[in-house]
Amino acid sequence: MPLRDWPIRRKLTVMLVLISGLVLFLTSAALVGYQYWSFRQTMRNTLAVRGRILATNSTASLAFANEADARELLSALRADPHIAAAALYDQNGRLFAAYPADLPRAALPAAPQPDGYRFERGRLIGFQPVAETGSQRLGTLFLASDLEAVYTTFRLSGVIALGVMAVSLLAAYLLSTALQDTIAQPILMLGETARAVSDRRDYAVRAPKLGEDELGVLTDAFNHMLGRIEEQDRALRESKEGLERRVADRTHELEERNESLRRNTAELLAANTELDAFAYSVSHDLRAPLRSIDGFSQVLLEDYAAQLDQAGRDSLQRVRAASQRMGMLIDDLLKLARITRAEMRTEVVDLSGLARDIAADLQRSSPARAVEFAIAQGLEARGDPRLLRVALENLLRNSWKYTAKQAQPRIEFGSIAANGERAFLVRDNGAGFDMQYADKLFGVFQRLHSAAEFEGTGVGLATVRRIITRHGGRIWAEGVVDRGATFYFTL
Amino acid sequence: MALLKATYVSAAVLVASAACLQAQAARAAESQVKAVFLFNFAQFVGWPPAAFPDSGAPLVIGILGDDPVEGFLDQTVRGEQVRGRAFQVQRYHSVDEIKTCHVLFISRPSAARLDDVLASVRSKPILTVSDDDRFAERGGMVRFVTDHNRIRLQINLDAAQAASLTISSKLLRVAEIVTPPGR
Repeated sequence: MPLRDWPIRRKLTVMLVLISGLVLFLTSAALVGYQYWSFRQTMRNTLAVRGRILATNSTASLAFANEADARELLSALRADPHIAAAALYDQNGRLFAAYPADLPRAALPAAPQPDGYRFERGRLIGFQPVAETGSQRLGTLFLASDLEAVYTTFRLSGVIALGVMAVSLLAAYLLSTALQDTIAQPILMLGETARAVSDRRDYAVRAPKLGEDELGVLTDAFNHMLGRIEEQDRALRESKEGLERRVADRTHELEERNESLRRNTAELLAANTELDAFAYSVSHDLRAPLRSIDGFSQVLLEDYAAQLDQAGRDSLQRVRAASQRMGMLIDDLLKLARITRAEMRTEVVDLSGLARDIAADLQRSSPARAVEFAIAQGLEARGDPRLLRVALENLLRNSWKYTAKQAQPRIEFGSIAANGERAFLVRDNGAGFDMQYADKLFGVFQRLHSAAEFEGTGVGLATVRRIITRHGGRIWAEGVVDRGATFYFTL
Repeated sequence: MALLKATYVSAAVLVASAACLQAQAARAAESQVKAVFLFNFAQFVGWPPAAFPDSGAPLVIGILGDDPVEGFLDQTVRGEQVRGRAFQVQRYHSVDEIKTCHVLFISRPSAARLDDVLASVRSKPILTVSDDDRFAERGGMVRFVTDHNRIRLQINLDAAQAASLTISSKLLRVAEIVTPPGR
């Protein structure tokens, strides 16, 4: 487990033990090191003192070349088991006497080295001049001591230091275990409270405060925060409940409205279908008696013309004209009904081409009239070609009809951009209309002009609107009396 | 071949002269040791202040009679000092010549007159040294004893004390103290 994932208790314990261990180690190392150094100093000084005494005592032995005496003097070193070797050299650097007596010559320096005491190759060695005070030098004393004493002391202090460290570390561990609670306990309690909050979403719990230190301040802040969260949670829950209630109410309301709309639509649809069927059957059934009226009126006019006076013949002519007109009305009504019932097929339709064909047909039907057509190029739309032809024909024929009294009639077919979509338009400079009747233009049998002024059945624009509506488009019109009218439609 | 022969001859000459040299060398070494000992006495013997005319006066080592230590003594003391005093070597033919002297070596040929000599210096602070066989018994202070190529010391401590000389215990350690009988 990486260090940062350790529990805080263990971190604190380890930290305290590590710090006290380091301090102890450094202190012990310094003490042991100092002891080692000072013991070496002491040892060197002791050996130097011993060397001076011995040198002072051996002056006469050297001065008068008494080897036996020199050996006896040196043999006093037996009292110190650490003295490994000793020797006296005469004035000329020749070995004069050695200790221990049986020491091989090779174990001693061949000649005296510079005076002084020093540590060399694991031994303390010293070269001490031998001379009477104020007189010439008589020779040199050599002493060599092993460092067993130093090592023994060093080992002993090391063992003591280790023991002290072990006991101190144990004490530090026990103390830190006892003391860490003052820091760890509030943090653990905070953690526990936080977990309780996040696990159970219980914002009513509060962390217990154990003291007035920074952790106490933190606990206060945490509890305060919990209080705020609790308030906000309650407010949130309340507003949520309110919202839910409102949504439910609205949903219910909407469902009811939808239901009533659906009912209305179904009723309307049924009524419409019924009406269409009714209109169709009535129109269809009306044709037979109408044909009889027209037929017998013709028979009367041809076969009994002689028996009738002029007034009778006129009346019969009127009967015939009225019945023919009624036939046209019925035809138009049937056409309108068929359009409603006809099957739709959708493809790309060349509206410009259609408009040109219709204009040519119109010119052919009344070659005497000179009408200027302005048809935009390349207008296309998706829709049913048969129905669109009917719609366009109705609109152009309408314009053709209402420009009849115009000196310079002009009819235009084009398109404009309106409210982000494309609208087609048919414009003329004919009779126009009063805008306050604009909404009546597209009703069945609704006419703004008398049949005497402009012939017509009042079904054409209704048919156009039905076709446009079936294509999902809209149709509207603008006009000014005697200044012309414009019909717009989208597909 | 001629060359080889010449080499043999010179080798033989060399061996003969080496034997002669060895005897000479042994005698020379003994003289040298004695010279050094005479010089060293100055370090281990204390003289009363009256023994010196003034504080800067040199320490005089005198040789009475033949000089057995030849030039070695002059070599040994040259440039040396003890307790701030320089050394001076004097050679005497008769005891009357002795005026200021601190160490007196009485050579063996003058041993015949030894009693006279010792009698004339007895009251003076002079360390008398000799290699005479019965020197100490006759009232001398230090005797050189040659023993197995080694020179040992015999000291008549009473005689030295009688002449107001102090002898270091260290010197006494390395010497044999003799007490003349009947004194």
